[in-house]
Amino acid sequence: MITLFGKRIRLFRPRSIWIRRIVQWFFFLLITLIAVNHTLVENGVGIPFLASASLHAVCPFGGVETLYTFLASGLLVRKIHDSSLVLAGIVLPLAFLFGPVFCGWVCPLGTVQEWVGKLGKKFFKRRYNHFVPTKLDNILRYARYGILIWVLYVTATSGTLVFEAYDPYFALFNFWSTEVAPTALLILGVTLVLSVFVERPWCKYACPYGAVLGITNIFRVFSIKRAESTCKADGACSIMCPMNIEVDTVKTVRDHQCISCLECTSEAICPVARTVVFTAGGVK
Amino acid sequence: MTLTSKPLAIIVFIAIFGGIGLSSTFGWWQTESTKEPAKYTEGEFAGTANPADIRGSYTFGDISNSFDVTPEILAQAFQVTTDTPASFPVKDLESLYLESGYEIGTNSVRLFVAYYLGLPFDTTGQEIYLPQPAANILQKHTTLTPEQSTYIQTYTVDVKPASLVDIEMSPAQSEGTAPEAGPTTSAPEAGTSSEEEYAVKGKTIFGDLIRWGVSQETIEQIIGAPMPDPAMKVKDFVTANGLEFETVKTQLQAEVDKVKP
Repeated sequence: MITLFGKRIRLFRPRSIWIRRIVQWFFFLLITLIAVNHTLVENGVGIPFLASASLHAVCPFGGVETLYTFLASGLLVRKIHDSSLVLAGIVLPLAFLFGPVFCGWVCPLGTVQEWVGKLGKKFFKRRYNHFVPTKLDNILRYARYGILIWVLYVTATSGTLVFEAYDPYFALFNFWSTEVAPTALLILGVTLVLSVFVERPWCKYACPYGAVLGITNIFRVFSIKRAESTCKADGACSIMCPMNIEVDTVKTVRDHQCISCLECTSEAICPVARTVVFTAGGVK
Repeated sequence: MTLTSKPLAIIVFIAIFGGIGLSSTFGWWQTESTKEPAKYTEGEFAGTANPADIRGSYTFGDISNSFDVTPEILAQAFQVTTDTPASFPVKDLESLYLESGYEIGTNSVRLFVAYYLGLPFDTTGQEIYLPQPAANILQKHTTLTPEQSTYIQTYTVDVKPASLVDIEMSPAQSEGTAPEAGPTTSAPEAGTSSEEEYAVKGKTIFGDLIRWGVSQETIEQIIGAPMPDPAMKVKDFVTANGLEFETVKTQLQAEVDKVKP
């Protein structure tokens, strides 16, 4: 840490939130093992001491999908289990407090998109994640709310998990099974290809669960805040943001797309200590 | 209060796994459907498992967990020759007897279990077929009422299950079973076969009917009431409203047949 022109600057700063990578790897491996074990158990050769639940049972979005049916009739949509409601009940308060940490830290589909995105970063350097024209991008980012409304409507009116046929998360962890609809595989393929050009394309433009959790960004307790008094305005935080949020132009990030990855903070990319922070209080 | 990545990671872990642990202690963490049939709610057998709620997804082993019938007896009754009768799925019976021309399936197992244990079972308006060995076991093992004897005599058929080689094994059944072990079968996965997809069964929900193209008005005309939540099973609604499932099923199937592609 040195002081230059009255500002404290960290000379050897980490480039990313390494512990987030570990958490992402953990949940990716956990879900992969559960999905594989589910198939193995169906074929009579499960791995002992490992959960073999279906993917639907360990996805919190199932809890959102079945909520209307559950409240209206006390029933769960077919293939959804109580565990989905439990997970939704855990993730939502987390989001009220810390924003969509589920998206940025836990969701394995988000993780896989980030991994593929590393290829894009290598190929395209600074052009990566800036291919979509701003005007179009701004409009497309609201598409996920339309998808959310559609999913909730068709699930409530049909009582079945219609979204399963389009769900790239289900396809990612079930691509070896006959349960996966070709449409879901196609959407997964498109998502992975787009991830080479755009960071987290599914999360940005299409994820209905991201839409639900994203709303909490508007009023969450802990937010990304920027101290204007110490900010160098070098734009590093905005460049680093996977969701293209212009962190350096706001005091508090209330953008509905923030995924609480903390990559923009002084702990990661921001060179000035305690300037971009994740806090429940204020900053100078 | 400012948070950094490490405390946030710990909070995420504690929230998720602590929440799961806590919900487990309350019995809320259920990742699969329980295979426990509903119980009789009234009368002499109140509190006893009701064979009418045996599902196609149950295996013979699941049935023996809830009823005092061994998988071996069930296998013998339904002519399923396998080394592992406990893992034989009830839904596979239908394809096993497909070529016989008689519908021998989940309903047949329900009837067999009920009569075997002397439990009440409503057969009004239903044609539930049993293979000859099942009828033989019932006549030998239990005292049937004259009505039950007549019913069985009427609907017992001397049929053989399909040959092993003609039928693909389902994963649950294939567990530990040598290929030459005996007749095994595989019902099509729900939703993967058009025949399966458009058949009104005990597990069919109102949402399925709508998805297949039957209008809500038509459904309401048949059930004589406003359509309940789409996630509700037709059978559950019909039973709860004192209607006869077989009658409603036939009418709905006719409508489904009209609109299916």
